[in-house]
Amino acid sequence: MSLPPDGEAAPTGDLGWGAVAPVGLYLHIPFCVSHCPYCDFVVVAGREARGPANRIASFVRALEQELDLRADALDRHWGPPGTAARPLLDTVYLGGGTPSLLPTNSIARLLALVRSRFGVADGAEVTLEVNPGADERGDAGAIRAAGVTRLSIGAQSLDPKELRTLGRRHSPDDVAETVRAARASGLASVSLDLLYDIPGATLESWAATLDTALALVPDHLSLYALTLDDPDAEGITGPGGDHLPVSAGARRWRDQARRGQDDDRAAAMYELADRRLAAAGFAWYEISNWARPGHRSRHNLAYWEGRAWEAAGPGAHAFDGRTRRWNAARLDGYIAALTPSDGSAPRLPPGLQEPVTASGREAESAILALRTSMGLPPSALDRPALGPTLTWALEAGLLEPTRDDRLVLTLAGRLLSNEVFVRLV
Amino acid sequence: MTIPQARLRNFSIIAHIDHGKSTLADRLLELTHAIDPRQMTSQVLDSMDLEREKGITIKARAVRLEHTANDGLVYGLNLIDTPGHVDFAYEVSHSLQACEGAILVVDAAQGIEAQTLANVHLALREGLTIIPVLNKIDLPSAQPDVVMDELENALAIPREEVLLVSAKEGTGVPALLQAIVDRIPPPKGDPKAPLQALVFDSHYDQYKGVVVYIRLAAGTLHDHDRVRLMASGAEAELIEMGYFRPALVPVPLLTAGEVGYVATGLKNVREAQVGDTITSADAPAGAPLPGYQEAKSLVFAGIYPVSGEDYPLLRDAIEKLHLNDASFTFEPESSVALGFGFRCGFLGLLHMEIVQERLEREFSLDLIASAPSVEYEVLRINGGAPIRVDNPSKLPSIGEIEEIREPWVQLSVVTPSSYIGALMELSTNRRGSFVGLEYLDPTRVLMKFELPLAELIVDYYDQLKTRTAGYASMDYEEIGYRAANLVRLDVLVAGEPVDALSMIVHRDNATKLGRTLVGRLRQLIPRQMFEVPIQAAIGSNVIARETVRAMSKNVLAKCYGGDITRKRKLLEKQKEGKRRMKRVGSVEIPQEAFLAMLRTDES
Repeated sequence: MSLPPDGEAAPTGDLGWGAVAPVGLYLHIPFCVSHCPYCDFVVVAGREARGPANRIASFVRALEQELDLRADALDRHWGPPGTAARPLLDTVYLGGGTPSLLPTNSIARLLALVRSRFGVADGAEVTLEVNPGADERGDAGAIRAAGVTRLSIGAQSLDPKELRTLGRRHSPDDVAETVRAARASGLASVSLDLLYDIPGATLESWAATLDTALALVPDHLSLYALTLDDPDAEGITGPGGDHLPVSAGARRWRDQARRGQDDDRAAAMYELADRRLAAAGFAWYEISNWARPGHRSRHNLAYWEGRAWEAAGPGAHAFDGRTRRWNAARLDGYIAALTPSDGSAPRLPPGLQEPVTASGREAESAILALRTSMGLPPSALDRPALGPTLTWALEAGLLEPTRDDRLVLTLAGRLLSNEVFVRLV
Repeated sequence: MTIPQARLRNFSIIAHIDHGKSTLADRLLELTHAIDPRQMTSQVLDSMDLEREKGITIKARAVRLEHTANDGLVYGLNLIDTPGHVDFAYEVSHSLQACEGAILVVDAAQGIEAQTLANVHLALREGLTIIPVLNKIDLPSAQPDVVMDELENALAIPREEVLLVSAKEGTGVPALLQAIVDRIPPPKGDPKAPLQALVFDSHYDQYKGVVVYIRLAAGTLHDHDRVRLMASGAEAELIEMGYFRPALVPVPLLTAGEVGYVATGLKNVREAQVGDTITSADAPAGAPLPGYQEAKSLVFAGIYPVSGEDYPLLRDAIEKLHLNDASFTFEPESSVALGFGFRCGFLGLLHMEIVQERLEREFSLDLIASAPSVEYEVLRINGGAPIRVDNPSKLPSIGEIEEIREPWVQLSVVTPSSYIGALMELSTNRRGSFVGLEYLDPTRVLMKFELPLAELIVDYYDQLKTRTAGYASMDYEEIGYRAANLVRLDVLVAGEPVDALSMIVHRDNATKLGRTLVGRLRQLIPRQMFEVPIQAAIGSNVIARETVRAMSKNVLAKCYGGDITRKRKLLEKQKEGKRRMKRVGSVEIPQEAFLAMLRTDES
């Protein structure tokens, strides 16, 4: 169910406030030097991102406005940060796009604003996504000085040919240099994103990428199957949608690339990675995520554990425990609402929201929990909406009880997790 | 206006598709002022959209023309339209039986075609006077001399009888009208005898009830007479009667020899079947007219709604359409793969296509038809009368069968002689045998083959057109059943037979076909949680096998950025897809797979 854009219906953002105040904050920074053809995230690239006509400064002003408006609403509803009802933030996540394209002083100003308006707990996890290219990865020392504690590096592959296939601008050496600089700056946690099932990849090239990645000694690895969706067909790219339309070139690239993908190879790659990473001291804790002890992404775990988080930026998603809300994807509409050129008061950007029903909530939280190594307690078997599917999954070898008595997906179960989830929705 | 019997002329036009029959009919209507030229739409008689699009006549129509002849007297000309396609030979024969004459229209550029021959023979058998017409003489490619040779050679029609016409430009049409008056004899029949009127078509009108098209053989009908349908026994008081001009124009009286309609108020077309005789309820005739042979279904297929919930709509639609086209048969059947539907019998493949299209268009349905089949005769080992099987999945098991017989047809093909070799090859590859060949003129021949009907209905017609650059035409008639080495080829998915894919085939072709089928199905069945064998089998003997390997991956890899709504929607979409799947044993198969199997022509 969709409601009217809350920017119009409720300029103060009071609509749909529910159960709890956020413990995390997501900021979407949509700029990239170039747009990779497989990527569905809200991205603006080219002259809007770099050069004299770039829109970074006007975007940052709008983002600061949104943070203020969101914080105002939280203040009104929960009081100032730092109470039991309004805890300080445990995580902040700057995703994109390429947040490292922001000038370091902008990052510092944004984080300062977040600290003053939302409150950030001591020891909080503050992640910044970076691209490894020399001209886009930013200055690790300054980034750390701005308050970032964790770097998530979009490596995608460590094979030069595969990087070219993906339309990436960086080289494997750039990845190594980014990790080295992060370590040198003293950043507490470094994560690498890698893609498998890339057209033209082989089990051997994947093993080599994994070995190279492990040799860089990251703290965390996200391994994603290259997934080529069609957001236009899903109907999420309209004027109020949270995704941008797919360009003709990207569509052609995807049609071609799909022919170079192979489920069997992808499954073999996943299994290989799970073995190698375990041997290297990484434990899987979510279908696509592995970490060394103490290095799980607390921000992402909050999503899977159903905690509340606030969000700002085009296409960003928030959840307050009762309602999922998102901003529309288009940058123009975003900037126009928050920094009106006619001098009128800033308004929240256009967007939509969707309440999570009780039954939807039960299925959704079971699915999210099953994505993780926490799984579900055995008592879930007694819940009418879950029991039959969980029993079926146990019998099919997709689910197993752990020694500490939780129901967790097996390796096969992770690869076939949609077969389980589709029976739960 | 009442016109005496001696000045009535009842006639049909017989022509091959595209030889200009409808244009000629339009011109006749115009010249006799049956239609205001300003209201003239092209192909007035083909009132169904489908007829105009396909350029064919499906249903017989009738129209009354009034023409002042050279002798200054007004003649009543009843034109009874006929379908031109072989599938509708049954309708053609009805129309011809209501006539004393027929205009044979032949394209002056194309020459005579296989169906022309068949229809002329049909007309001659009914004792009709033929008026041969060469149409399209305005075309630069017209070769009237060559075509007149053909008429002389193939049909013994003397050149001097042939009229030269351009229906498009109107040339020769007045002469044709005079020839109708001069050459076609008036109808016979005593207006004072007990009423006998043959029903040659009908349609349902929501205000007037069943409207019956009749030809009066004897007697006279008056307004508000009480009539009886001799076969069904139904009685009704006439609400209205009249002529087709071509709109229904009421008249108070119809007499022997006339062609017209009566509105009965009857609610069910089955009470006034084509071929029945109408007589007076008060003074009935002693015996009905000979009537018609029942339409014989030659091609059978299951018709199913693409989505199962449309079954009740399909049932209503089929019943309604049947009121208008009684020449197809239907009975409910169900299939594991396709759900609930109807087994339908058709006059031929074109008829099947037309019925399916009319159901889809006129009732907004999305339908799927199983592969067409013929009706087999099966002799069982334990004796008894042969049983008839029109659905391969109903064939008894191999062990019970003594013999299977299949229908054969004699096929007439008219073709330029340069394609003789290609057609020989095509027909013998389809288990056909060559019967004979005669030259119609120096460049065109009439070839005759005998062929199993089952081979004809696969794609023979398409192949015929392809291999002769569209020049050949064909016609066929049934010549009875012959025993053959036939087997049922089953397709099994994970050991379970898929009924909609069973077919009866010649044993020699079974292995090749089996391989093709399982190969295609393997591409169409999505990978399951387990390995799925796909087999083609004759009885318990597996003749081809493929395997759909177990699914290795179905995962939403990236679930962060908090966009959980999108992931949930993708899962819901998968769930909806799963819900729409058909289950064969434990295997889930999307309906689309069956559709793809059934929609692709195999050859």
